[in-house]
Amino acid sequence: MLKNAVPPYLKSEFTVFSMTRSTLLAQLSLLVVPILYYGFRPLVVAGASMLTAVACHVLFCLIRGKNISITEISPLVTGLMIALLLPMNVPLWLPCIATAFAMLVAREPFGGFGRNPFNPAAAGLVFVTLCWPRLVFSYFDPSRASSFPLLGAGTYSMVSSPSQVLKQGFKPDILPREMLWGNFAGPLGTTGILIIGACGILLFLTRAAKPEATLCFLGAAALAAALFPRILCSPLTSVKYELLSGSLFFCSVFLVTDPVTSPRTLPARCLYGAFAGAMTMVFRWLGTYEQGACFALLLANAAAPLMDSAVFRLRGWEGKPNEE
Amino acid sequence: MPRGVKLDLEKEPSLKEQVITIPAPKTLPAPKMFASLRKKAAAAKVLERARIAEIVDELDGEPLYKKLKRFVSADALTLVAVCFDEDPMTSATQAVFRENAAKVLAGLDAAAHACRAVSKKIAAASREEFRYVPKNRAGVELLTAGDRYPAAVLLRRKWMEKGKSAGFIGGQACAALADAVTRGLAQNETVVTVAGNGASRWVNCRVRIGTPVRDVLAAGKLLPETSVVAVGSSVNGRSITNLSEPVTAATRCIIAMKGLPRRKTLPCVGCGRCERACPRGIIPWMILQQLELEEPNPFRLFNVEHCIQCESCSIVCPSGIHLVDAVRRAEKIKEGRENKGC
Ligand code: SF4
Ligand code: SF4
Repeated sequence: MLKNAVPPYLKSEFTVFSMTRSTLLAQLSLLVVPILYYGFRPLVVAGASMLTAVACHVLFCLIRGKNISITEISPLVTGLMIALLLPMNVPLWLPCIATAFAMLVAREPFGGFGRNPFNPAAAGLVFVTLCWPRLVFSYFDPSRASSFPLLGAGTYSMVSSPSQVLKQGFKPDILPREMLWGNFAGPLGTTGILIIGACGILLFLTRAAKPEATLCFLGAAALAAALFPRILCSPLTSVKYELLSGSLFFCSVFLVTDPVTSPRTLPARCLYGAFAGAMTMVFRWLGTYEQGACFALLLANAAAPLMDSAVFRLRGWEGKPNEE
Repeated sequence: MPRGVKLDLEKEPSLKEQVITIPAPKTLPAPKMFASLRKKAAAAKVLERARIAEIVDELDGEPLYKKLKRFVSADALTLVAVCFDEDPMTSATQAVFRENAAKVLAGLDAAAHACRAVSKKIAAASREEFRYVPKNRAGVELLTAGDRYPAAVLLRRKWMEKGKSAGFIGGQACAALADAVTRGLAQNETVVTVAGNGASRWVNCRVRIGTPVRDVLAAGKLLPETSVVAVGSSVNGRSITNLSEPVTAATRCIIAMKGLPRRKTLPCVGCGRCERACPRGIIPWMILQQLELEEPNPFRLFNVEHCIQCESCSIVCPSGIHLVDAVRRAEKIKEGRENKGC
């Protein structure tokens, strides 16, 4: 029996699923080093957060009467991203609350994946930063002995992260070269600079993400750091410290590249990256908190549709001249 | 950034064999015959011959004489014979070209004469195809089609961007014109590719126009699981359920498929791939956005009337959105607006 069908009869291999899977795998690879150092605690933090994300997603699907599909792995990305942006020594409920906020407030009410104007992970993080700044910015000292049980608080000594030190106007007592290896205090997934860089390059090469916003983001942040150093040092040192400390580099690879919340035209994406980069530095300078990337990103998200409109206005809405 | 989509070509299986001939059903009338034309017949005579021989250009299904007549008014026209197939599974025109490139060249000559083209070109699938071209090809240049779908449209776009006028005619139509001029034959057959994962034998068949699709499909030794038959293209062909439909001169392939890929539709993620793929300067994601509004702004639905339904946008969309539908709806809205506005 022959059936009617609608074209196209082909489909490209590249799907939203494969795209999110690449991002997810890249982020999972950031967990490897912490797991080797500290046992399975990072995995527990990430797992709790991801589980919350999935639970929220399922809950919303049930309320809305939507079908739940196992290929919908973007909640996992959101959950994991939040876990990676928080320090490992946070109590387990903190990433869960951040994720719940991300899913239930920033994502699902707007219609779920693909329709959210704000990056859910950034929104979740901003929420917990505003509510529990003390917890979000307390880091254990990776150079001292510490032990983390799977659950519970663990024993460790606290230390200021390089970005805290920068915020206070001092020079961190770690060389930028050593920061590349990630052996400094900071959020769980954001210190492995080399691994993040490698992930970024892989994502760009496999076309799972676009590099222009990232480059402009880093460029603008570097420029701001060079022109207005927060500490007394050469511009180059300032650039190194600013780019390597905190979550800036992680955000440039994983959050700024999110296609859903970034503008859709190339010039607007460059502008978006540059704007977010510059705003990050403004927040670092003037803000109350040591991290500014997520706040800056939310601002840039809000401006993204405007940037697209501006590009079209300049280009002319009629598009390219018609042929024939 | 190159436009279009890169698709996996599957032409070798059907090109392996020679073109086979499907016997015409007895019910079809014998082909019409005319006196052959003189070597130096006037342009108008050739044009008239294209008309009475009822030659249809397989590129777009337009009667050849109408097309050539349109071309007459263009100045400094380059006539391009498209001797490849855009569709990734079809090789019908390519097979015709391999079989008798001299005939295609002769047809191109006649057509160029009829529409006073200043230069002639053969566009072949790849460099390898050039070896089928006879050595004495006075003044005919060779080009290759790019490897991106839809190749002929993209080729035309390139010419347009250069600001030169070019006319594109199909290789099979050229061959038919050569037959009509030298042998006085009306176009009565066409070469059709049978392919698809529902066919166990992929082959090019020479078919009398009007033969039911069923007879041609039989040459492909269909698998019992075949559930969809598409005519015209393995990408955007029309699916048919009635196999007694006749083959027309514009039928380039009949594709038997076991099943279709499952398309799960998600909201647009804004990756911009559709915009890059579209050969006609349409921005499908913006059209989607506009259609979600209550009052789409017709000025933001630009170029929708130029859509050729090539489906490139729908193929590349990672969210599996059927973008052509949206473009078609936008076209309706725009037309409605314009009628009201005038
Ligand atoms: S919008 Fe039309 S012309 Fe453009 S890619 Fe889609 S189907 Fe082809
Ligand atoms: S290809 Fe699909 S997901 Fe990407 S921008 Fe176009 S409509 Fe959106």
